[in-house]
Amino acid sequence: MVVLTIDGKQLEVPEGTTVLRAAQQAGIHVPTLCDHPELTPYGGCRLCLVEVEGARTLQPSCTLPASSGMVVHTSTDKVRTARKFVLTLLFSERNHFCPFCEVSGEDCDLQQAAYGEDMDHWPLQPNWEPQPVDASHPFILMDQNRCILCRRCVRACAELTGAFTLGFEERGARSALVADYGLPLGESTCLSCGMCVQVCPTGALVDKRSAYLGQKSVLEHNQTICLECSMGCGIDVLSRNDQVVRIEGNWEAPVNDGVLCVNGRYLSLDDNRDRLQSPLVRKDGQLVPASWDEALDAAAAGLKPLIGKNGSGVAAAASTRLTAESLYLFKELFAGKMGSALVTSTEQGAATAAAARLAESLGKPFEAKFDALKNADCIVLVGAELNEQNPVAGLITRRLRATGAKLVIIDQGDNSLSELADSALLVKEGSLSDLIAGLTAAVVKQGLSRLETALDGRKALSAATVKTGISADAFLTTARMIAGASQPVIVFGQNLAEPAVLLDLAAATSAGIVSLKGGANSLAASQLGLDQPFTVNGQQAVYLALGDEDPTESLVKSLAAAPFLVVQASHKSALTEKADVVLPVEAWVERQGSFFSADGRLQQAVSSVSLPEAARDSQAVLVELAARMDIPLDAGGWQEAFNRRISPVTIY
Amino acid sequence: MQAYRSMVLVSGDPKSLALGAQAVYERIQDEVKALGMQDEISILLTGDVGKSDALPLVVIYPEATIYGPVSVEDVPYLVEEHLYKGRIAHNLTVDVRLQSGKTAWLSARKGTMPAEHRIVLERAGLIDPESIEDYILHDGYMAIAKMLQEMSPEQVLQELQDSGLRGRGGAGFPTGLKWKFVAKANGSKKYLVCNADESEPGTFKDRQILEGDPHLILEAMAVAGYAVGADEGYIYVRGEYALAQQRLLRAIEQAEEMGFLGENIFGTQFSFKIRIHSGAGAYICGEETALLESLEGKRGEPRSRPPYPTTHGLFGKPTLVNNVETLANVPAIIVHGAQWYHNIGTASSPGTKCYTILGNVNQTGLIEVPMGITLREVIAIYAKGMQPGSQLKLAQTGGSSGSIVPASLQDTPMDFDSYAKASVSLGSGALLICDQETCVVDLARVLMNFFRNESCGKCNPCRIATQRSYEILERISMGKGTLEDIDKLEDMSSNLFEMSNCGLGQTAATPMRDILIHFRAEVEAHVRLGVCPSGVCPMHEPVASLVYG
Repeated sequence: MVVLTIDGKQLEVPEGTTVLRAAQQAGIHVPTLCDHPELTPYGGCRLCLVEVEGARTLQPSCTLPASSGMVVHTSTDKVRTARKFVLTLLFSERNHFCPFCEVSGEDCDLQQAAYGEDMDHWPLQPNWEPQPVDASHPFILMDQNRCILCRRCVRACAELTGAFTLGFEERGARSALVADYGLPLGESTCLSCGMCVQVCPTGALVDKRSAYLGQKSVLEHNQTICLECSMGCGIDVLSRNDQVVRIEGNWEAPVNDGVLCVNGRYLSLDDNRDRLQSPLVRKDGQLVPASWDEALDAAAAGLKPLIGKNGSGVAAAASTRLTAESLYLFKELFAGKMGSALVTSTEQGAATAAAARLAESLGKPFEAKFDALKNADCIVLVGAELNEQNPVAGLITRRLRATGAKLVIIDQGDNSLSELADSALLVKEGSLSDLIAGLTAAVVKQGLSRLETALDGRKALSAATVKTGISADAFLTTARMIAGASQPVIVFGQNLAEPAVLLDLAAATSAGIVSLKGGANSLAASQLGLDQPFTVNGQQAVYLALGDEDPTESLVKSLAAAPFLVVQASHKSALTEKADVVLPVEAWVERQGSFFSADGRLQQAVSSVSLPEAARDSQAVLVELAARMDIPLDAGGWQEAFNRRISPVTIY
Repeated sequence: MQAYRSMVLVSGDPKSLALGAQAVYERIQDEVKALGMQDEISILLTGDVGKSDALPLVVIYPEATIYGPVSVEDVPYLVEEHLYKGRIAHNLTVDVRLQSGKTAWLSARKGTMPAEHRIVLERAGLIDPESIEDYILHDGYMAIAKMLQEMSPEQVLQELQDSGLRGRGGAGFPTGLKWKFVAKANGSKKYLVCNADESEPGTFKDRQILEGDPHLILEAMAVAGYAVGADEGYIYVRGEYALAQQRLLRAIEQAEEMGFLGENIFGTQFSFKIRIHSGAGAYICGEETALLESLEGKRGEPRSRPPYPTTHGLFGKPTLVNNVETLANVPAIIVHGAQWYHNIGTASSPGTKCYTILGNVNQTGLIEVPMGITLREVIAIYAKGMQPGSQLKLAQTGGSSGSIVPASLQDTPMDFDSYAKASVSLGSGALLICDQETCVVDLARVLMNFFRNESCGKCNPCRIATQRSYEILERISMGKGTLEDIDKLEDMSSNLFEMSNCGLGQTAATPMRDILIHFRAEVEAHVRLGVCPSGVCPMHEPVASLVYG
């Protein structure tokens, strides 16, 4: 701990704390522009300059480490003059005519800083050349004219996402923000994660969708979680008049620490499907609008006779994007009360069944938490296509890679991250297990195994080279890479059919195993046993709790001959067209309830906007439907249900 | 070693090479061979022998006769006359007044020119820079030999500290102290970086050392590496110094072959490797932390300090960064001892300093003289006085980041402390001598134009204030300035110094500050009277017909 004095206050802070953070912790306001709590200090804007006794010149508090005995003054005349000078210069450098700017108001740090210093005019004649605005990107507008060159975006692009798309060209007064040495942003290597927009202090990087729809302070904020994949990233949903305006990463969220991907920030709002406007019931072959009573009665009438019919009764599948409570009620109703044999999820256990079986056979969880991934110094991707399925995990991998972590890719065919890999072992269809066995053998053969083993490394390795066609050298180098790391982690995805082979490799290298699973509540569905294949065969009715999931073509096709089809969904789809009863429910932004992330973290989703008039909550619909079949149903004690089965990862 | 009766030096600086020095060198070899004298005469293509209008130069010892410009066609006659017949070929000798620094020193042996005091430039221009044998012959690699046989790293550190050597890059930080910081820093991996990104306009001392005596730097770096515990060194050479890079590479190759560099040097535990890194033309990369960033492959932007490179330098490891001239002093200190060094120069700034003399004087070029000499002496003795009709108005020291020294300070001893006391700085050692026809507004404008282009753009004060200052100075030079503009300049200069992140921004303020301290009346004349007293500034906006016609 070091003891320093700021503005007469004696403060004790841990060693390595900057003067700025020390001041902030003591409630002393020091204005900043280039500083951002999630980014490394830069010291470029010079707005946070403070007077340090004994120092030759003013010192930037954002980069200055506090040291014992340091005496700091944050609001002397000299400091205030300096701040004004910085702001004066910035206002003279580019077009900062606030009235015409999207962020004018509380959203602009520059404007706020100027108000904070009581600036009411520009002491220096502004002198700039207008710069073209780059609108080539689908989601982001880049306006050089508003840029204050603070490099927050550049640092975010490098440090948070490892994309390294943004950078600076030229020197001095001609310095300018560029993507990839000067490509239009829309044609660059940009991953569209939007972190740059989230950290931009001015109107230089603007979110196209939400531009001019209101300042952050007038928008409603709801901290919830993203349902695009199973990571459970924390998001802040900004809305106005029940319309979602924008999504930002929640800096406080434990999973993603504020980082979001293109799916979570932009694509989740890119929904062109039509909402269902009312319940629908098929009458005389025509699907016609009906009241909720009519629709529920029609569904109950079709389903009630099937209670206890087991295999020939009702086949039911639920989306893994539904809340844990809904999934529990769904399982209770159809499997528990109605006794149906085929009750599963639309995901059909593709991403979870093998791991669940493995956990059961081991009698204990074998997967690690996301923290293992976030702190890894060697990442082994096994059959995991992160860019598409779990982009935030991809961003984490990229940024770790940039700080020196090794990246090993083991996959069939190609993997979109393989150009970043230190070693990429790509095999033809079917021999992923052989490849992993070969790697384990290579670890053992080189005497690097952390565990005693009876395995004959030499024999097993030569067998693997024959089976996979990959050279022994490649196996040995890659094995050294993994075994040489102090915190390796193996991330496996859906391309790996059987995760059991990973256990030996993980044991030999002390690696953590992380699975990214499928939909947002993939783990919950798996824990409820909703993980069998959905093969409709002779059932007299089919019930689909789709929520806002878009049904796959094969699902639609497989249900073409269903005698009685009830679909519970938020949007119109090919499936609702075929249904006999359609029950409109909530979309993800309106959904409220519990979700288990892929690493077993129980999180709450809150509804950010109200339900449309026609729709009801999935949970309520299931309870109501049950009531009409004289089945009492409630969600009490639902949490119990998720612990009845041994989970691949500890649930908490 | 073989004794020669004559020694022929052909100037091998880039300009001479461009003018055919290589062909002259080869032709001399051929001619000497044709006359069967190859065992009697040594022929060397050496470093720069002096900035001159008569390149390429050929210097022949022991007579120390200088010929130039020498063409290939001149060679047979020259060789026959001077080397075979023993007569000086007067029609080819060069006018001594065309000669500068180095040749001046050569001439000193004949008693025609005042003597310099050469330590770092002792061999440059005298030996074959591409021959390690020649370096060794001239007492090269003696420091390594002495150090490895007789001295512990602590003793080397102490010797350096006792010598009082101070950094020659401009700031004058005590070198021994810096070495001790690095030696004491935690961590087993340490780096040594030689800053050879000599980018100050008008400064070319490091270049002469690197081109003329590359082994000197390698030896100095090995000594430094031994003292601070570094086993890896980088020389960050300015990109434009292609010849220096080429000669350094050659020198490293030879030194490794002979075992002065590499693993377990002379069977000791000491290993040292040196790599060359070429700069890419950014002035800012001469700033040590920007240099380190650039060396790491990043954009050359200065870091925030603390932490300092001595504890968090290259790749985050403790790193010693020294200028070429600083390092070049080291072998001599080790060989001759701290006391010897301390007797040269002044008590607080021992040793010599290299100056590159430019401007309105009779003789420009590079000199190496003891610290504490005055500007008056430099001009009178080494520069052969001001040009006819010129009077000293000011000297701009240390390239663009130095000071503007008015004539009134020409008797101030040129050493770190005396200059600091007078609020001026020595900087890198460039001396731009300006006469009465120099306008201070124009000078400041030109310097500010340099800074606004060379600022890295990282910190706001430097990036924007250099641009705004340039605009104001330009306005004043076009007769459109106001008194308020002068106040703004004062503001800019004090704020630039207070608020900038690195030395570039801080020293960018100096020209404005200095002209307003020493020549305020002249600046005000531009504004109040609408005239440029020196008749340099246009005092009107560019006339279209002049620009486009």
